[in-house]
Amino acid sequence: MEKLIEELKQHLIEELNLEDITPADIDAEAPLFGDGLGLDSIDALEIILILEKNYGVRLANSAEAKPVFYSVKTLAEYVMQHRQ
Amino acid sequence: MRIVVGGVGLVTALGVGVAENLTAIRQGRSGIAAEPALLKTLHHLPVGELAMSNEALQTRLGLPEAATLSRTALLGMLAVQEALADARVPEGLRKGLVSATSVGGMDLTEHFFAEFLVNDRAGRLREVRMHDCAASTEAIARYNDIRGYRTTISTACSSAANAILAGERLIRHGVVDCCVVGGTDALSAFTLNGFKSLMILDAEPCRPFDESRQGLNLGEGAGYLVLMRAEDAAKCYCRVAGVANSNDAFHQTASSEEGEGAFLAMSEALRRAGVAPEAVDYINVHGTGTGNNDRSEGQALRRLFGAKMPPFSSTKGFTGHTLAAAGGVEAVLSAVAVHEGFIYPNLRFTTPIAGLELIPETTFRTDVEVRCVLSNSFGFGGNCSSVVFTKEEK
Amino acid sequence: MGCYIERVVCEREVTHDAKELIPDPAMRRRMSRVVKMGVMTAVECMGGVEHIDRLDTLVTATGWGCLADSERFLRTLIVEREQLLNPTPFIQSTFNTVGGQVALLRHNHCYNVTYVHRGHSFEDALLDARLRMLDGDGKEVLVGAFDEQTPSQHRIMGRMGLFRRVQDGEGAVFVKLTTTQRDGVVAELTTLDFPTEPLDETSCRARYATTDRTALVWNDYAEAGCYPTASAHAFARAVRMLSAEVPEVVVYHSYMGSTPTVIVVRWVGSLV
Repeated sequence: MEKLIEELKQHLIEELNLEDITPADIDAEAPLFGDGLGLDSIDALEIILILEKNYGVRLANSAEAKPVFYSVKTLAEYVMQHRQ
Repeated sequence: MRIVVGGVGLVTALGVGVAENLTAIRQGRSGIAAEPALLKTLHHLPVGELAMSNEALQTRLGLPEAATLSRTALLGMLAVQEALADARVPEGLRKGLVSATSVGGMDLTEHFFAEFLVNDRAGRLREVRMHDCAASTEAIARYNDIRGYRTTISTACSSAANAILAGERLIRHGVVDCCVVGGTDALSAFTLNGFKSLMILDAEPCRPFDESRQGLNLGEGAGYLVLMRAEDAAKCYCRVAGVANSNDAFHQTASSEEGEGAFLAMSEALRRAGVAPEAVDYINVHGTGTGNNDRSEGQALRRLFGAKMPPFSSTKGFTGHTLAAAGGVEAVLSAVAVHEGFIYPNLRFTTPIAGLELIPETTFRTDVEVRCVLSNSFGFGGNCSSVVFTKEEK
Repeated sequence: MGCYIERVVCEREVTHDAKELIPDPAMRRRMSRVVKMGVMTAVECMGGVEHIDRLDTLVTATGWGCLADSERFLRTLIVEREQLLNPTPFIQSTFNTVGGQVALLRHNHCYNVTYVHRGHSFEDALLDARLRMLDGDGKEVLVGAFDEQTPSQHRIMGRMGLFRRVQDGEGAVFVKLTTTQRDGVVAELTTLDFPTEPLDETSCRARYATTDRTALVWNDYAEAGCYPTASAHAFARAVRMLSAEVPEVVVYHSYMGSTPTVIVVRWVGSLV
């Protein structure tokens, strides 16, 4: 789980082009959207791609996916449950 | 100076020409097919595609078979030809063209690029000569003998409405005597995949302003209007009473919850027209069918019109979203609405959006007097434009 | 009504760094090179991000648009066979991205339009701005042009044989215009024309020069190379040339032999 969390952080930094942010700066339990990392609806689409490309995990609808997108930890939990 | 619409031309999935389009709308027949027949794509998604190949379009236009023209240019050439024939512009007037497009020659570029990627010496160069937006405008002008000032506007899905704004002003300031304005966009794999990647394409035919809406369907087409001084016009559809542009300045793609840009554009267009909101008889809304657009536009409509909401509809259920052409296609329909006294139906509506309770027109109405129409077009980059047409007796 | 030039800034004259000019990291991280170049030049021209607030008109121009992002999306679409595409390059490929992003920096709701007509996109944008000023709608106006080169575009245009006589290029230029002849105004834009036929230097001077010390800037690609909105660089150079000795400059431009454009600027330096 820890390894997956670190991996996800790395993907987020690379794919979302987060400048001046290291994996250590991202609190795995802090919200990704709004106040936390300040991500928006376009980032949500990119995260869907990260999950699908790297873990074969499909999230159909971004509205249903809201709790999954809460933090890096919730993303990791979802990947653990659904990865192929 | 009174600027009027003296001629109109239209090409959409519903057919070639204003008459074919109106017949389809009157019959409630949608131009949205389950998947593209001509566009090369691996996706099975509903689109509003004109059932004519590029070769068929070239034959209809009397162009040589060997000509390499983008589909965007071909659609535009047809619609402008109709608009100019309709307007019968007097000899000696300096004609201009303000054309809008967002894909330009992307249909040809896509074909070229697939070969170029494999080998950078491959691909036919004539297929990329039409890549830039101006190429379609110049081809349309050449074909239709428009020799005055010509330019191209590209502000995503509000482009053609901004072309109307620019053309009206060019006549008022004497840069041209008469100006063909509107927009053209062909379907392309680029835009289909672009909107797919944004997850805002409905897998079913779109349902604008319905609670169950799941997104938009892409369409293709061209809509052009001939703007002229009232005294030069042989025929008069309506007066171009007010046009305004405003920026939502909220997000690159999403509209603000309260629809600030839409509200400002509509209010300003009405102010310029000297028309009170109560005097609007019909609104052709942007109404793409995405969750975000329809809610945001709906909020703006509620803010502006309150409980006295005029009849309104989105015609995108018929044509699909024709992107940069949408403002032109819908302005043509709006001009005809004023001239003929029409209100168009909004297809596939059953349940109003919760909290907004906005109910669009669902039948083709001819029993009303239409003296003032408002047409909305909103695009990426927060770009919001509204056009007001009013009755003008000739 | 006058059309006064307060400031002209080219991409290489941007002195502040991206974090200062584009304070929102979320906006910065999605920007391609040309969008960043355009937005930074625009903000530098305004003298800081907070000054965007006073704009009532924002008109941009580009011949090619955001080529790198268009190309990136198209390339992935072909290579990945239309599957799992990242939406960001598609969104950012839109021609009005720079104008939209400048407005978004300060949530400015003002008029915002983009011209994309090859070699006279910049002049079309200036005409739009000028007519808005004449209508009384534009008082504080920002007009800008931008274009970028990419390796594919360079290769394709090279194959077309377009660079035999000129070096290709890219760049961004923004100009702040105002209707008020106030302190800080450096020049006046007096004429903007779209001749239907090409002119030679003699006929151009005869038609547009109003003094015998008027200088001509003729199809000038020295600043940033040849690209559709290169005339914006020529225009910037013309403004810098103005002095008591050179009170007027005529900028003549015909991109790749297309219909020409003429911009005339006049010195108002004696005011300052």
